[in-house]
Amino acid sequence: MYGATDYDAIKKAAGDMPVYGHWKSFTTENGLPADKAYCVRIDGDRVLVGTNHGLAVYEDGKWTNYTTKDGLGHNGVLAIDVSQLTGDVWLGTLGGLTRWSGGSFYTFTQLNSGMPNDVIYSVICDGKDVWVATGGGAGHYDTYKDQWEIYMERNAPMHEPWTYGVCAGDGKIWIAAWGGGVIEYNTKTKKFRDYTDPDEQMELDVFPDDGVVHDITTGVSYADGILWVATYFGVNRYDGVHWKTYFDKDSGLLSNFNNFNRAVGPVVYFCTDKGLSTFNGKTWISYQRNENNTGGKVLITNGPKLTDRVKTTSYNVHTSLSHNFVLGVDANEKEIWIATSHGVSRGERIK
Amino acid sequence: MNMNKVIRSFFIIFLLSASAFSFGQEKKHNYANTPDDMVPYGRFQKAYINFFDTPQPFTGAGREKPEPKDLKEVRIGFLGPLDSTALVPQGKMMLKGCELAIEQANQEGGYKGIPFKLMVHNDYGQWGAAANKVVEMYDEGVWAFLGSIDDINTHVALRATLKLEIPMVNSGDPDPTLCETRIPWMIHVISDDRQSCYALAEYIYKVKKHKRVAVMRVDNRYGRVGVKEFREAARRLDHPIVLEIRFLDGDTVFTKQIQRIKDVNPDAVLLWGNAEETARIVNELRASGVNVPIYGSDRMVNPIFLKIAGKNAEGIVTTCQYNPTADNPKLKKFRKEFYDRFGEEPDVFAAHAYDGMNIIIAAIRKAGLNRYKIRDVLTDLKTFQGYEGVTGKIIFDDAWNDIGSIYMAKIQNGDFIFFPSPLDTLISNK
Repeated sequence: MYGATDYDAIKKAAGDMPVYGHWKSFTTENGLPADKAYCVRIDGDRVLVGTNHGLAVYEDGKWTNYTTKDGLGHNGVLAIDVSQLTGDVWLGTLGGLTRWSGGSFYTFTQLNSGMPNDVIYSVICDGKDVWVATGGGAGHYDTYKDQWEIYMERNAPMHEPWTYGVCAGDGKIWIAAWGGGVIEYNTKTKKFRDYTDPDEQMELDVFPDDGVVHDITTGVSYADGILWVATYFGVNRYDGVHWKTYFDKDSGLLSNFNNFNRAVGPVVYFCTDKGLSTFNGKTWISYQRNENNTGGKVLITNGPKLTDRVKTTSYNVHTSLSHNFVLGVDANEKEIWIATSHGVSRGERIK
Repeated sequence: MNMNKVIRSFFIIFLLSASAFSFGQEKKHNYANTPDDMVPYGRFQKAYINFFDTPQPFTGAGREKPEPKDLKEVRIGFLGPLDSTALVPQGKMMLKGCELAIEQANQEGGYKGIPFKLMVHNDYGQWGAAANKVVEMYDEGVWAFLGSIDDINTHVALRATLKLEIPMVNSGDPDPTLCETRIPWMIHVISDDRQSCYALAEYIYKVKKHKRVAVMRVDNRYGRVGVKEFREAARRLDHPIVLEIRFLDGDTVFTKQIQRIKDVNPDAVLLWGNAEETARIVNELRASGVNVPIYGSDRMVNPIFLKIAGKNAEGIVTTCQYNPTADNPKLKKFRKEFYDRFGEEPDVFAAHAYDGMNIIIAAIRKAGLNRYKIRDVLTDLKTFQGYEGVTGKIIFDDAWNDIGSIYMAKIQNGDFIFFPSPLDTLISNK
């Protein structure tokens, strides 16, 4: 036995942070089309999961799967967003951007539209606009005008046309530009600015807290006036004035290798290769599955950075993530869903 | 009392032996064997964190996947410039190196009697096409792939590789930032431009004692990222370059750039670009009276350069990722077999591709048909550490970059003469 779950103690230590537990995991044995899940999106009462063998939709306790036979651009579904304006589901696949609307699928590709590339790493809906981060630059689709715009090194401050993540908020679009740090686009002024690693070195970080930790960025997410940046070298918090950097060696972040991040309200969720780390600027709570059983640990670090006074407390729990290699996450007031290298998991918010 | 003395003696002996052991250990070099005086911020500030002190593990699932049955062929991908780019000659050489390795492996029984098959994809470099090509290879079921040459396309492919989890071996792109993306799915079996720049900086500033170097480079990623480490090394050695000026692939006239070079009166010029353009620049430099020593990048080690630059090429020194004239039986055998098969001499891209493809084949044979296990073997820093290929010994650092020996090439009597770079001496003296 690996210890009893004491959620009261965890809740007490967590303070304002949401705590998740009673995890339930799903794999092909439960109806998923593949064990490898790239992304997850909560859409009202249903949950959309992008896997490497198609789209899976969880509704009323059942999974329904969709593949290229149904109209997906490719069975590898890397990103999902849902338009708050229309309810349309936008799917970033390995073979184009697929819109799921009114029960039918339509795929935008390089050849049938003005989209920059068919490998869609990230998609975000911002009102009537849809933004994608692709293997050949960022794309902006105006659904009213049915027009595409492309942003790459020739018309934006990117060194190369490599984009990996995109997010929107407060009239701005942020692009995680692989090798170019973070690109900010003001939708009103139509102007760009970029944020790159001030030390300009790939192999080290001279000073923490001086800017984007590395020019290879993997994710951006904006909420509550804070931009959160994920990289394979650590993570950042940017409040519009100050940059803060967090590493696994000086904070509650489980790993410097971050596949993805999503901010929901004041809380950011970092998908690492060693589990899920959540943070609100003050307290870290991380979830990590045990190697030898389905239980896990909840790790709480009360303090943004580790010092002699701040320590991480570990709590054993009976249930945990499906796998520690986390690729996607979404959360709301009631629950959290994560996509992993081996299955998806649902965690219940502990009240 | 006596007992205390014995214990104390044991303790002292233990400390001494522990010290001796630790002194006897191999000294950990700087990242990428960076010379001490070229370490970024080395004079002023110790870095808060160094990212490549240990290899990045891959902790994802997949190793449990069983080997498929009833396969008719074992597919390995190839991504290289074969059409519609300036790098087609290099791409075709790279392909030939791979083809030879595959053919020889199949003569030796393939994989458990199943033949290897090369799935060839053209990397034509438009609109992130390399990403689409990696998806195609994924759909074809390749177990690993080799590619490419162009910096941008290789990065695009690498990024897709991470999502698709296909082992990748790069043998033709010297972009140092490839491995510095920290994607644990790629190994680099060719010395990169970081090594070239350090070798050139050592040679130009310390051996040849130049102080005012002008740089003329191609205006693309190969040029921009290629000279970065040289520019920074020059500054750290207290001789910041006096000019960095650009040209385009395909340019044939360089009058304006050369006038600017003359204006700054350098004591040496470093050229960074493809063979044809750099050869024309050399001719124009000499014709305009710029007679200072000229140095260059690896892509100038090419018969095209010698042909166009002619006598003007004499004395030019470049780097080269291997020594094609080395007294290496493996290399001699490879050159003969390559010539017998294709009727021409292999170049640097063919030789490195041959090594890279042989490494992929060996990894598949050792790991079996599971991409994750193949990745594990490629990156374990044991199986292929010190691999003796036709290009020499491959030494991987913790980012899976090849930091084995790099060579200098000097043009004498119309041919390239290869000699060890000063970096080798620097490292061996540590």
